[in-house]
Amino acid sequence: MPRPRPRPIRFSIDGREVEAAENLMLVDAAKHGDVEIPVFCYEPKLGHPVGACRMCLVEIEGIPKLQTACSTPVKDGMVVHTQTDRVREAQEAVVEFLLINHPLDCPVCDKGGECPLQDVTFGWGPGRSRFIEPKRHFVKPLELSPVIAIDRERCILCYRCVRFSQEVAEDYQLVLLERGAHSYVSTFDGHPYVGPFTGNIIELCPVGALTSRPYRFRARPWDIEGAASVCTLCPSQCNVELTVRDERVMRVLSRQNDEVDDGWLCDKGRFAYQAVHVDQRVTAPLLREGGELREVSWERALDHAVGALARAGARTGALAGEGTTNEEAFLLGRLLREALGSPHVDSRAAAALPAGLHRALCHPRRQATVPDLEFAHAVLVLDCEPVDDAPIIDLRIRKGVRRHGLRLAVATSRPSSLDANAALSVRFSPGAGGAFVAALAAALTGADSEELAERAGADAGSVSALAELLRAAEDEEDGRREVVIVWGERLAHGALADQTIGDLVALADALEVHQAPGAGLLELPVHANGRGMREAGLVPDAGPGLAELGPGQAGRASAQIAAGLAEGDLVALYLLHVDPLRALPDRPAWERALAGAATVIAHAPLLTDGLREHADVVFPAEAYPEKEGTVVHPDGRLQRLRPGIAHPGEVRDGWRVLAELARRLGTDLGVASAGEASAQLFAAVSFYSGLTLEQIGGRGLRWPEREQAATEFGEREAPPAPTRDRAPEHQPPTLAGAAANGALHLDSYRSLWSAPEVQASPSLAFLHPQQRAEIAPADAQRLGVRDGQRVTVCAPTNGQPAAGQEGAGAREVQATVALRHALTPGVVLLQDGLERDSANALGDPGSAVEVRPE
Amino acid sequence: MTYDPQADALPVSRPAEPGRGAAAYRIFGETLRGMKTTFGRIVEGPTTVQYPEDKAPVYPRFRGRHRLHRFEDTGLEKCVGCSLCAAACPADCIRVVAAENTPELRISAGERYAAVYEINMSRCIFCGYCEVACPFDAITMGHDYELSDYDRSDLIFTKEMLLAEPVERAPLRAAGE
Ligand code: SF4
Ligand code: SF4
Ligand code: SF4
Ligand code: SF4
Ligand code: FES
Repeated sequence: MPRPRPRPIRFSIDGREVEAAENLMLVDAAKHGDVEIPVFCYEPKLGHPVGACRMCLVEIEGIPKLQTACSTPVKDGMVVHTQTDRVREAQEAVVEFLLINHPLDCPVCDKGGECPLQDVTFGWGPGRSRFIEPKRHFVKPLELSPVIAIDRERCILCYRCVRFSQEVAEDYQLVLLERGAHSYVSTFDGHPYVGPFTGNIIELCPVGALTSRPYRFRARPWDIEGAASVCTLCPSQCNVELTVRDERVMRVLSRQNDEVDDGWLCDKGRFAYQAVHVDQRVTAPLLREGGELREVSWERALDHAVGALARAGARTGALAGEGTTNEEAFLLGRLLREALGSPHVDSRAAAALPAGLHRALCHPRRQATVPDLEFAHAVLVLDCEPVDDAPIIDLRIRKGVRRHGLRLAVATSRPSSLDANAALSVRFSPGAGGAFVAALAAALTGADSEELAERAGADAGSVSALAELLRAAEDEEDGRREVVIVWGERLAHGALADQTIGDLVALADALEVHQAPGAGLLELPVHANGRGMREAGLVPDAGPGLAELGPGQAGRASAQIAAGLAEGDLVALYLLHVDPLRALPDRPAWERALAGAATVIAHAPLLTDGLREHADVVFPAEAYPEKEGTVVHPDGRLQRLRPGIAHPGEVRDGWRVLAELARRLGTDLGVASAGEASAQLFAAVSFYSGLTLEQIGGRGLRWPEREQAATEFGEREAPPAPTRDRAPEHQPPTLAGAAANGALHLDSYRSLWSAPEVQASPSLAFLHPQQRAEIAPADAQRLGVRDGQRVTVCAPTNGQPAAGQEGAGAREVQATVALRHALTPGVVLLQDGLERDSANALGDPGSAVEVRPE
Repeated sequence: MTYDPQADALPVSRPAEPGRGAAAYRIFGETLRGMKTTFGRIVEGPTTVQYPEDKAPVYPRFRGRHRLHRFEDTGLEKCVGCSLCAAACPADCIRVVAAENTPELRISAGERYAAVYEINMSRCIFCGYCEVACPFDAITMGHDYELSDYDRSDLIFTKEMLLAEPVERAPLRAAGE
């Protein structure tokens, strides 16, 4: 659906001639004439207005009754009055009416001081109520969920929260129960309102009926300061405003940026700030002494690290992850490449990709943006689950489908939460994403796709139907085709990564995404700043700016770093915001690697499993509210992180520590401030050149839109993906090696709630998942397991005792069975990224596993 | 054109020089009138207050150091920690950190109570806005004006100090006094 093109019209408001876009709601149009109309229920983010509160009544000439300005589109020549006696009388009546049952307990209400009801009553109310009758009472406050408190007496029944649940998050949990004055907001069955986006209703509620429990009574608006930053707990990189009191983050609010987040936050972003101020936070350097991590001075920790790095030299590997900023990634790359002479750096989990493919992927003509998701003709969700990988993208897609008639296609290996919204859902075998992309690309280019579809474990008919859907997604008027492909980085985790990415680029080119400005690819990386780290050069085979490396300069990718450490080729490992046991595939290999490494140096704000057991030096790392630097959104938008609070304890800036280490190793990186680090980065990355922090500003800046990018990448055509000289090698999924009964294909996903920050946040910890083995009912019957039963899922042992693998990292996990009807039979779905019993202990998606009742 | 400083000088009007008689009156007459007041007061006796042995009595509405109050019947604190006083304070010298009452630990009558309530007396300008702002009459201005100390930090009054029954050192002015 094309973006709306507003037509300017003129209308008159309070005697003023004002220009506005046609069909804008009067409330918004009035702002062009500097007229404020009070509202409660109107919130454009929620979609069509409902006119529930009647606060916005205005007089329009030619219409006998007063009209609701929030639901009356403005037309040419309209004459509107907001200051007449009739309007004023109506406004006073509505305020008086809303206050009949309102408890007016502002002094104990958390909304006090920032409450629209207070403001509107003060500005438009009668000042005195005529009602002396007793008010309606409810038990209060109740727990709507562990993070939301509801006070039903204060509710003015504006429907905002219910509309959010029904029409934005589409979880359909909140409803209004009862009738008339007895109406109240609740979930239908009284269960807690739990979901990925529930916290948004706190910000939506125009009164103090819905308040945050972690923020309860923490501060008043005049006690606090707002600090703008960017959430780096997932790749959505929502813009946030941190509420700070006494150098502590008290809550996180959305800082609406329609290009990024549309004004929503997920509950992880909204509530996981609590992990910044928990006791288990690492606030001093730790050094392993006598097998235990002990707090030491910075001097000792740095000395130890420098000694170990100097000994290891080129035999050092480095990994970065999660919210590592571009600057940190860039400096880590320099530390390794320049100070230590080691090329072994990585920030991806998959096999290395040649620089050419990286550049083909991020070519500006192939790049889709977040708003494109809303207005595209079709969106293909490919091997990812937006609600877990980048939740805000999920909301955007839902919005596109609901409001703009977007055609959604889902192609995943497991049931997707978007299936219900999709015009077409196609399943393929776990781990066969690469084969599926090849099949789809073949179908679109008219080549034979049947065999490839079979290797992908997908229905050949569905593949061609999907190709047809994408091809037919054209504008009825001008025939333009805007297709956005949202794909997860895990798509390319297999051994054939380069082939898969090549096919993906071919797929995009077959859909001619470079011809339409609103079409393209949108990658959901595994790490929050996955894209930025790559562009800063933290990949084994490309330098800063994804530049080709000279011959012989390529390093090892993460899997080979693990192998090298285990075999003794590498001796030291540097971990920046990443715990490989938790974040990377193949846990047993990493357990061997960490055990084999002579020195493991880590930066971490919280100790996770791998660090607790294996790290020799742990530098206390900043949490994102303390960071200064830049990150890159999956659509190429550079965004700035700005420190909202001071460093707790002895925490130091990441860039400072890296620069200090390099200095002690004899290389001066020439970085003495965060700004200098950014300037160096901008100078080193060709397509950032000339950028300044001021240009990025508070709203971010998309580098693919800069002229620089056009000159560098070519103005018009996107070049085809670098060709390969190999025939497709995708193998059909097999269960070879597994015992005949009980063998299933492993599939895995990383839940939104698996982050260590969620685990450490007191009021979110209840969401941190336990391992579940989701299987289809037919399989459960065959295996003789019930829902809720504890089972052991293990990699096939070929008749050897299950312990295998010389003790280190037994390939088995404990899980609780959950039956799932939508799941393809023959598959067991487990979670990744957990502290214990994580699916990465078993193998990659697609490998064979056995399920054994305990 | 040359500048003539005389050109824009304003004429000053002076009263006529007083005559001899008037001058004599000024010197003696007015002085005697003043002396009359002085001698008139001398018979009233000295009014110097021998502070600190004696203290000047204050009016009932005198704004001295604050007091926080409890309900007399239940003993619960009246303050609910709403921070309105802190918002009203022009000297920004009140700090309130609120917390939630639980059934086991009930401090105030409302849902919340002031876990921390501090007034920095060295900053306070005794305007009384906090008293006006308080919706629960929890804070009032007392009569105590003896607020000096040896250490600035001792002038930060905590909730316990403000709640405690103060030693009434300043006498109240009696009616008609
Ligand atoms: S709880 Fe708040 S948002 Fe929901 S209907 Fe009531 S007033 Fe509106
Ligand atoms: S969606 Fe991601 S970036 Fe946005 S608030 Fe949640 S965790 Fe943060
Ligand atoms: S008397 Fe005035 S200056 Fe002193 S604490 Fe109260 S409001 Fe602040
Ligand atoms: S003294 Fe009064 S105004 Fe101040 S926090 Fe307590 S209740 Fe609120
Ligand atoms: S804002 Fe228009 S009816 Fe509520």
